[in-house]
Amino acid sequence: MDRRQFLLLGATAAGVSACHAFPGLEIPVRVDMPGMALGHQLRDAHAWPAATEHRDVDTLILGSGVAGLTAAWQLQKHDYRNYLLLSGPEPLGNTAYGDAGRGLRYPKGAHYLPFPTRSSTHVRELLADMGVLVSGEHESHPYYDEAAILHAPDERIWADGKWSPGVIAPVAAHSESARQQARFFRWVEQLKTQKGSDGLRLFDIPLVLSSQDDDWRRLDMMPFSRWLDQQGYTDSALRAYLDYACRDDYGAGCTHVSAWAGLHYFACRDGHASNGADGGLLTWPEGLGRLTQWMYNRLPAANVMAGSAIRIQEGQHNVTVDVLAGKTRMTIAARRVICAMPLHVLKHLVSLSDYGFDVPQQMPPHAPWLVTNLVLQGFPPEKDGEPLAWDNVRAGSDGLGYVVATHQWIREAMPERTVFTAYRNLPQFSPDAARKWLLAAKPADLFDAAMVDLDEVYGRPRLWRHAQYAEITVRGHAMATPAVGFLHNAGLAALRKQDGRLLFAHSDLSGLSLFEEASWWGYQAAQKILG
Amino acid sequence: MVDRLLVFSVFVVASCGLAYELIAGALSSYLLGDSLLQFSSIIGCYLFAMGVGSHFSKYIRDEDALTRFVDIELLVGLLGGISAALLFVVFAWLSAPFRSVLYALVFLIGVCVGMEIPLVMRVLDRQQMALRDLVSKVLTFDYLGALAVSLLFPLVLAPQLGMIRTGLLFGMCNVAVALWTTHLYRQHIAASTARLVKGGVILGGLLAAFLYADRITHWSEHGLFGDEVVYSTTTPYQRLVVTQWKDDLRLYINGNLQFSSKDEHRYHEALVHPLLTSLPWARQVLVLGGGDGLAVRELLKYPQIEHIALVDLDPAMTQLFSTSPRLTALNKGSLRNPRVTVVNEDAGQWLEQHSRMFDAIVVDFPDPSNFGLGKLYSVPMFRLMSHHLAEHGRLVVQSTSPYFAPRSFWCIDATLKEAGFNTWPYHTYVPSFGEWGFILAGKTKDFTPPAKYPIPLKYLDDDETRRMFRFPADMSPLKMEPNRLDNQSLVHYFEQDWHEVSR
Ligand SMILES: Cc1cc2nc3c(=O)[nH]c(=O)nc-3n(C[C@H](O)[C@H](O)[C@H](O)COP(=O)(O)OP(=O)(O)OC[C@H]3O[C@@H](n4cnc5c(N)ncnc54)[C@H](O)[C@@H]3O)c2cc1C
Repeated sequence: MDRRQFLLLGATAAGVSACHAFPGLEIPVRVDMPGMALGHQLRDAHAWPAATEHRDVDTLILGSGVAGLTAAWQLQKHDYRNYLLLSGPEPLGNTAYGDAGRGLRYPKGAHYLPFPTRSSTHVRELLADMGVLVSGEHESHPYYDEAAILHAPDERIWADGKWSPGVIAPVAAHSESARQQARFFRWVEQLKTQKGSDGLRLFDIPLVLSSQDDDWRRLDMMPFSRWLDQQGYTDSALRAYLDYACRDDYGAGCTHVSAWAGLHYFACRDGHASNGADGGLLTWPEGLGRLTQWMYNRLPAANVMAGSAIRIQEGQHNVTVDVLAGKTRMTIAARRVICAMPLHVLKHLVSLSDYGFDVPQQMPPHAPWLVTNLVLQGFPPEKDGEPLAWDNVRAGSDGLGYVVATHQWIREAMPERTVFTAYRNLPQFSPDAARKWLLAAKPADLFDAAMVDLDEVYGRPRLWRHAQYAEITVRGHAMATPAVGFLHNAGLAALRKQDGRLLFAHSDLSGLSLFEEASWWGYQAAQKILG
Repeated sequence: MVDRLLVFSVFVVASCGLAYELIAGALSSYLLGDSLLQFSSIIGCYLFAMGVGSHFSKYIRDEDALTRFVDIELLVGLLGGISAALLFVVFAWLSAPFRSVLYALVFLIGVCVGMEIPLVMRVLDRQQMALRDLVSKVLTFDYLGALAVSLLFPLVLAPQLGMIRTGLLFGMCNVAVALWTTHLYRQHIAASTARLVKGGVILGGLLAAFLYADRITHWSEHGLFGDEVVYSTTTPYQRLVVTQWKDDLRLYINGNLQFSSKDEHRYHEALVHPLLTSLPWARQVLVLGGGDGLAVRELLKYPQIEHIALVDLDPAMTQLFSTSPRLTALNKGSLRNPRVTVVNEDAGQWLEQHSRMFDAIVVDFPDPSNFGLGKLYSVPMFRLMSHHLAEHGRLVVQSTSPYFAPRSFWCIDATLKEAGFNTWPYHTYVPSFGEWGFILAGKTKDFTPPAKYPIPLKYLDDDETRRMFRFPADMSPLKMEPNRLDNQSLVHYFEQDWHEVSR
C-alpha cells in the first residue's frame, strides 16, 4: 500500500488527516479510537432501536479481549460447545494488531510476555498448546521456540546524544548512582524468590496468588515514590528509570502507583527458560495479538458473533442480554454470562452494586494510552552508539520509546519495509483531564504528542523520507492503574468471587493490566462453567 | 572593452568559486553521509575562508594587484580543479586524514576565491571607473555566476560529467581567465611570459586529467583492493568488487575476500562433494547463498540431480555471475543451466513462505559478522531448513574457520545439534583463506565420509577426505553453547576470534 492508496482507503474510515510537518512534507495520519463511540452512547443513555430477534445460549461471553478469548479457548478445549462469544467494539481488545500488507504486522497495544512464572500455569498451558512452549511445561525452565524469544539486541537508550545499551541512562562506575542502582536491583532480585509468612511468593503473577502477609501488603498504602525516598533511592537516573517502568506498565508514574505495585513489577517476574537467559521475554511482530488471534482461530464460526452488549439483566432462571449487532438489536437469554469487558463500560450495562462493587468508591482509575504505528519504507539512518534494538527509549522523555515490528524476523538483510510502534501515555494529566485533552486534540496534536521520541532521535525530515503513513490508536480508558490502596479494593475482590449467573473476567479485576492477569480471570471463569 | 572583459571574468570566477564549494559538499556527503552536516559545515568553512581572503587582500600593493590576481587564478584553477580527484584518492588510499584534507582544501580555495573580487575591484578602480558603476557591475556578475552554476551543477554537470571531471572543468576555466588576463594586460603584469607558460602547463595538466578521469576513479579503487578492479558495483545490500591479477580473479563483498579463482575449487569441492556423493539418490537440491554459482557448478557434475534451486538475496550478484564472460567462464555458466532456478529473495523469507522438499541443502551464507547474518546460523533457521529436508537427506553449512575462529565453528556445530541434527564437522586447507571448516548434518545417524568419488575432481580424493574429517590436536573440538537468538553469542565470538587473529 502506498500513500495514495492509504489516503483513498483511509478516507472512508473516521478521522483521516494529513499532518504538516513542514510545508510540502506530509503523510496521512489515521486516528482510531476503538470502542469510544459505543462507550459514550452507553454513558449518555442513547435511545437504541427495539429488539427484533431472540436467541438462547448456555454461556455467553461478552468481550473478545484476552480474558474473553481465554474463557472461550478453555470451553472449546473441554468440548463444551453451547457458548457464544460476542466480540464487542474491539476484536482482540488491547492486543489488537494491524497489517501493513505483504505480511508486515504490528501491535496496536500489548507486545510482550515475560517468561511465565511457575504459578502462571494457565499461560504455560496456552503456550504449550500453541507450540511456543516446546517442552517442560511444568518445570522451572521450559524450552521455548526460539523464534518467539526476544532476539538480541534487545534494548538501548538515547542519552547525551548517543545510544547506549540498556534502558537506564549510563552513569559513572563507582558513583553514588551506580551504587544505588546496584542496591535496588540486588534487593528486587532477592524479593523474586522471597516468601511471606503463608509460604507464598511475596509478589507473584497471577497477582491473587501472592502472599497475604500483611507486613508486605501494607506497602500498598503508600505511593511508590515515598517508599523509594524512605529507602534512600534518590538517584535521579534510577528514579527516572523507575518512573518510566511504572508509566510503561501501569500508565502512571511513581507518585501515583502503590509501592506494592511498584515492587510487584520487578519482583513478580521470576520465569525462566532453558534456552534463554533469565529476564528474557516472548514477543512477536504483531505483539500479543499472536496469542489472542490463535485462540480466536480455534473457535468455530458459529460460536462467535460480532456485536456489543448494551444491557444485562439477571432474571430468575437466566440472564437477558440486549445486543446490538450492526443495525439490528436482539436479546440473548443465557444461563450464565461471562462479563469480559472493562468495568468502566460494564457499569453502564448492569448495576454492579448488586454484585458487591461500589462504582463511585471502587472503580480503579483508567489511564489513557496512545499507540502510534509509523509504517516505513526502509530504515532511517541511525546515529552514534548501539545499533537499532527491539525497544528503543529516550532518557528523560514523556514518551515510552518505540519498538520495531520486524525485529523478530529471521532475515539476512534489513527488510524493505518496517513499522516503528511508539508508545505514550499522558501522566502529566489526571486521567480525566487527559481524556478531555484527547477528545479536543486535532490529529496533528495527537501526532506531535506521539512523535516525541522519534522526532528527537531521527528528526522528522529524515523520518519523512521513509514514512508512508501513521496510524494512531487512542484508548481513553486503556488500563486500570494500581493506585495507592488498589490491593485492598473490596469491590474487586467481590467481583472475583462471584460464582452465580454473572461471572466477571477482565484484567480490571486484578487492578493492574497484564496479559497474564486478564487470561487468569478468563481461565477461572471457564473453570467455574465447566464445574 | 577591455574593462568589460575583466567584468566578464568576474562571472567566470564567481561560477568556479561556487562550483568548488558544491563539489566539496556533494563529495563529502557521498563519502561520509549526513549531507546536512557536510553541506553546512563546508559552506561555513568556505565563506569564512573567503572572509579571511578578502581581509588579506589589503596587504597586496595596488601596483601588484593585477599580477597577484593572475597568480591567484592559477592557484585556484589548480587546487579547485584537482580537488575532487584528490579527495577521492585520499579517501581510497588513506582514509584517516580525509576530513582534515577536506577542510584544509576547502579553506585554501576559499581564501584564494575571497581575494579575487577585491582585487578585480581595485584593478577597475585604478582604471577610474565610477565607484557606483563598479560596485554594481562587479557584484551583479558575481551573483549571476553563482546562479548559473547552482543550476548547472545538479542538473547537468554532476550527472553528465561526474564530480572529478566537473572539478577539472572549472579549474580549466580559472586558468583560462588567468591566461586571458595576462594576454590582455601584458604591460601591467610582471614576468608575463613566464606566467603564460605556467598557465599553459597547468591547463595541459588539467586537460590530461580530464581525459583520464576514469583511470583516477579506477586507481582509487585499486588502492582499496591491491589488484586491478575489473568490476565493481554497490547494490542495496552490499558492495561487490571483482579484481584480477594475472589469471587470479577475486571477488570481494564489502571488502572481504569471497574467493580467489586460484584455489576456490578446494573450497567448493569440499563444500559440495562429501554431501552429494553420500546421497547418490539425491534429485532435488537447494543452495542458500552462493550467488557466485561455483557451488552450483560442482553440483551440476552429478547427472542424477534433476533440479537445483538457488536462493540468493542480491539480484546484482546472480546477474553478474550469469552474464560477465570472465565469471561465467569460472562457474561454467552454471546459473544459466536449465537444471537451475535462481531466486532472488531473503533466504529466511523464502524458507518461511515455501514448502518444497529437498534431498540436499548446501548452505553457503556469508560469515556471521553482524546480527542480521547471525540469525542465519540460529536454531529456528536450522529448524526451518530441517522442514525442507527429506527424512534421509542431509545438508552442509560453511562454518568459518575451526583454526582461526574455533569458538564460532563449534558454536555453529552446537546450534545444528540443538536444532535436532546429527553433525559431522570437517575442514580443509584453502590457501587464500587458511584452514576452513564445514559441517555436514542430517536427521539420521548413518553418514560415513565417501571413500571414493564417482566424478573426476581436482582436489578431493579418499586420503584427503579421511584427513578432512579428522581434527588434529590444535583444532580439537570445543564445547560450546548453541547460538541463541537472545544473545547471538556467535556474532560476538566471530568478532572476537577474528580480532585476535588480525592483531
Ligand atoms: C498500550 C498497551 C500496551 C500494553 N502492553 C502490554 C504488554 O506488553 N504485556 C502485557 O502483558 N500486557 C500489556 N498490556 C495490557 C494488556 O493488553 C491487557 O491487560 C489485556 O489485553 C486486557 O485484556 P482484557 O481481556 O482484560 O480486556 P480488553 O483488552 O480491554 O478487552 C475488552 C473486550 O471487551 C469488549 N467489549 C467492550 N465493550 C463491550 C460491550 N459493550 N459488549 C461486548 N464486548 C465489549 C471489547 O471489544 C474487547 O474485546 C498493554 C495494554 C495497553 C493498553
